[in-house]
Amino acid sequence: MAGQHLRIHGLFQKYFLVLFLAVVMPLTTNGLSEAWFGYRDQRTRLEQLLGVEARSAGAKIQGFVDGITDQLGWLVQLPWTGEPDERRRIDALRLLRQVPAIVSLTLIDGNGRERLYVSRIGLNRNESRVDRSADVAVAGARSAGLWYSKVNYYRDSEPYMTIAMAGNRPSVGVVVAEVNLKLIWDVIAAIKIGQTGYAFVLDELGRLVAHPDISLVLRGADETTLAPFREVWEAVRRAGADVATSRNASGIAVAAAAAPVTGPHWTVVIEQPLSEAFRPIYAALWRTVGFLLVGVAIAGLMAYALASRMIKPIHLLEEGTERIGAGQFGHRIDIRTGDELQRLAESFNAMAAGLAESQERQERIAKLKRFLAPQVAELVDRTGDDDVLEGRRTEVVTVFCDLRGFTAFSARATPEEVMFVLSEYYDALGQIITRYAATLTSFSGDGLMLLINAPVSVAEPALRAVDLAVEMQMSVQKLIVGWQERGYRIGFGMGLAMGPATVGRIGYESRFDYTAIGSVVNLAARLCASASDREILADATVAEAVKDKHQVHPIGMRLMKGYDEAFLVYRVAFAERPEAS
Amino acid sequence: MRRRDALAWLGSAAAWTLPVRAQTPAMPVIGYLAPESPGPFDSRLKAFRQGLADVGYVEGRNVEIEYRWAEGQYDRLPVLAADLASRQVAVLVASGGAPAALAAKAATKTITIVFEMGGDPVALGVVDSLSRPGSNLTGVSSLSVEVSRKRLEFMHDLRPAASSFAVAVNPTSPTSGSQVRNLQTTAEALGIRLHVMNASTAGEFEAMFLAATREQAGGLVFTSDPYFAFRSTQLADLCFRYSMPAVTQSRDFPMAGGLMSYGGDFAQSHRRAGTYAAQVLNGEKPSNLPVQLVTKVELALNLKTATALSIAIPPSLISGADTVIE
Repeated sequence: MAGQHLRIHGLFQKYFLVLFLAVVMPLTTNGLSEAWFGYRDQRTRLEQLLGVEARSAGAKIQGFVDGITDQLGWLVQLPWTGEPDERRRIDALRLLRQVPAIVSLTLIDGNGRERLYVSRIGLNRNESRVDRSADVAVAGARSAGLWYSKVNYYRDSEPYMTIAMAGNRPSVGVVVAEVNLKLIWDVIAAIKIGQTGYAFVLDELGRLVAHPDISLVLRGADETTLAPFREVWEAVRRAGADVATSRNASGIAVAAAAAPVTGPHWTVVIEQPLSEAFRPIYAALWRTVGFLLVGVAIAGLMAYALASRMIKPIHLLEEGTERIGAGQFGHRIDIRTGDELQRLAESFNAMAAGLAESQERQERIAKLKRFLAPQVAELVDRTGDDDVLEGRRTEVVTVFCDLRGFTAFSARATPEEVMFVLSEYYDALGQIITRYAATLTSFSGDGLMLLINAPVSVAEPALRAVDLAVEMQMSVQKLIVGWQERGYRIGFGMGLAMGPATVGRIGYESRFDYTAIGSVVNLAARLCASASDREILADATVAEAVKDKHQVHPIGMRLMKGYDEAFLVYRVAFAERPEAS
Repeated sequence: MRRRDALAWLGSAAAWTLPVRAQTPAMPVIGYLAPESPGPFDSRLKAFRQGLADVGYVEGRNVEIEYRWAEGQYDRLPVLAADLASRQVAVLVASGGAPAALAAKAATKTITIVFEMGGDPVALGVVDSLSRPGSNLTGVSSLSVEVSRKRLEFMHDLRPAASSFAVAVNPTSPTSGSQVRNLQTTAEALGIRLHVMNASTAGEFEAMFLAATREQAGGLVFTSDPYFAFRSTQLADLCFRYSMPAVTQSRDFPMAGGLMSYGGDFAQSHRRAGTYAAQVLNGEKPSNLPVQLVTKVELALNLKTATALSIAIPPSLISGADTVIE
């Protein structure tokens, strides 16, 4: 039983697993591929977005620088004369007012002489005519047109830069402007990347030029302050076209991109916390995971329900076969799945019905064997038809026999002796009855009644009956010799009669007997009763039928009990001592 | 401003959790030390509160401010600073000049001090360096002291014919010596003479104007000093009475009828001081907050006064002015 349960359990698991996997595997494959491609698309989009943000931030910073150079352009348009240029002085002062980032302006004429210096802090100088042609700024502007100095930190704190610009011809001179880069703060602080992302500017040496947190810039070229910013910049350079990821000064993982600022050779780096930049990606991934989990749960439920449904008829089949196996042939398996299982159940049911029928017949046959000769019983069994046992009227030979003096013997003898005698007696008779395929209808004590020609017809029933009787008489007489030696006074007589009788099964339920009813039975019984030891008495019909094969001697008319008229009775002759004959 | 929003959020979050975290005091307290009375400080306080609000602190909601006013008596500043220090305020703001900053520095070595002044904090010995202030001080410096020579230059531009100018100096100011030296150098460069006149109390103003008039000075140049800066109205009245063209550091002066001013933008410096104070409340160490120099130096002119004084202001000056009162 345990093994069976294990198997059933295993089948459920198998079904469940197969169904579950059938749903989950494509679902998972789909979900994972979707997540992967979604991730790649999102990453590409993020990359583009960050690139755009970086270019936009770069353009803003470029705008700040270009705004200054554009303004400076006004001061190098007209050629210098030998006279002081009041007009240009006013222009320079106006420019100081217009561009707050410019701290001071130096105007140099075509000969490299300083003509004007105006400052917010220092004293202005007019027409000092100092030779400035050797200044790097002036030389730079003269050779390149536009010259940017490296960023320098005033008193190690405030970032400054010098911009020098030459006009389109030497005579218009050069303008040199000191620019306080702290004012980029207004621009850089206004740049926002997403929710919390921001931009910062590094110069070509990787020093901080601008940052929304001005205090970081004011620390000057402080290596520990600059290190994390350089690290982000390095990450951007390494990443190439891909999204660069790094950790910022606060240790937060960030996605970063950069854009160059041409002219001063700066780099604008933008960074956005990864958690924020990848939020859409994470959201999409979580969504996919959510759908997958829901899908898996549904698949599990479906697989469970389906496997249960598939298992249920198999359970029913199992239970049904168990009950049928236990002998409950009346049990029917009720499966209405409309498929092979239903067909299987139906064939089980048919089998159970067949088994029930078969068992019934077996029982019947077992009963038949009690009174039929084994051969006949087998015949009935083989044909599977016990119609022969049905009641009918037929010509039969009835044989009666019993022991003489048995009642007196049994009264005297011990039970062991009685049973010994009966045992020998029936052993001997049983073999003969079987051999002659006679039907034993009843026996009681020492008497027997046999039928020939019923239920199965035989050829020459009378002859067979007489042969049977002779053999029986001879066989018993041999026993009697032995019994008499022991001192038992027992004889054996027989009576035969032939005639029509009603034969068939009588009785109830399992207590059926096969018997014959008719005067021929009475006659045979009477003949037996009147037969003495070693005598086989037969009626005229029998005698007539066997007279060619056996010696039959009429022994006169006898009046039988229960009959009004006397019958002619015959005695069948037989060799009294078989050894002698 | 995302960053400001973030900071504001942080600030408000901190304020929100503070009463839970620390039962006493319920709110952080800023000690505010000022050399003057609340009246003339009103515009400065507004800027200061603006700076606090940039980081998410609002007085009365998530921060308290304990004020100490010296009412113009600068010698009271050390006592007031010590009083604030003894109250263990979260941050001590020394506003309105070097005297307050020095008084605060003397009062405590542990409480973070955020100063607002016009002088050079390194030269005055308040901090060691601008980029790395060290110790427990940081703050904002306007460029007012540095540009006092520019005031003389502008006055010279206005009165190019004058051969001498009067210079008003507060001898009690820690920056007076360096400013006078600067101005002397400038005078030499410009080829003019200076009459240095001392005044450390309001009562000496009258005498100073009398002396300047007597010396036939082309104009009166005020050195950078909070005591002068916060008495703009009084000085403007005196200028009007003595028909004396004058220039001070504070925009309040031309607004009150004075001729001209040139100096650091106090709105900017006080606002930045407020921001720094708020950052200190947020736990930032003063050593991580470099001293800020105000970038904006503004020139203000009152054309009405110029007309009344029969002074023709050259167009270069007008075009370079940030504020012109007509």
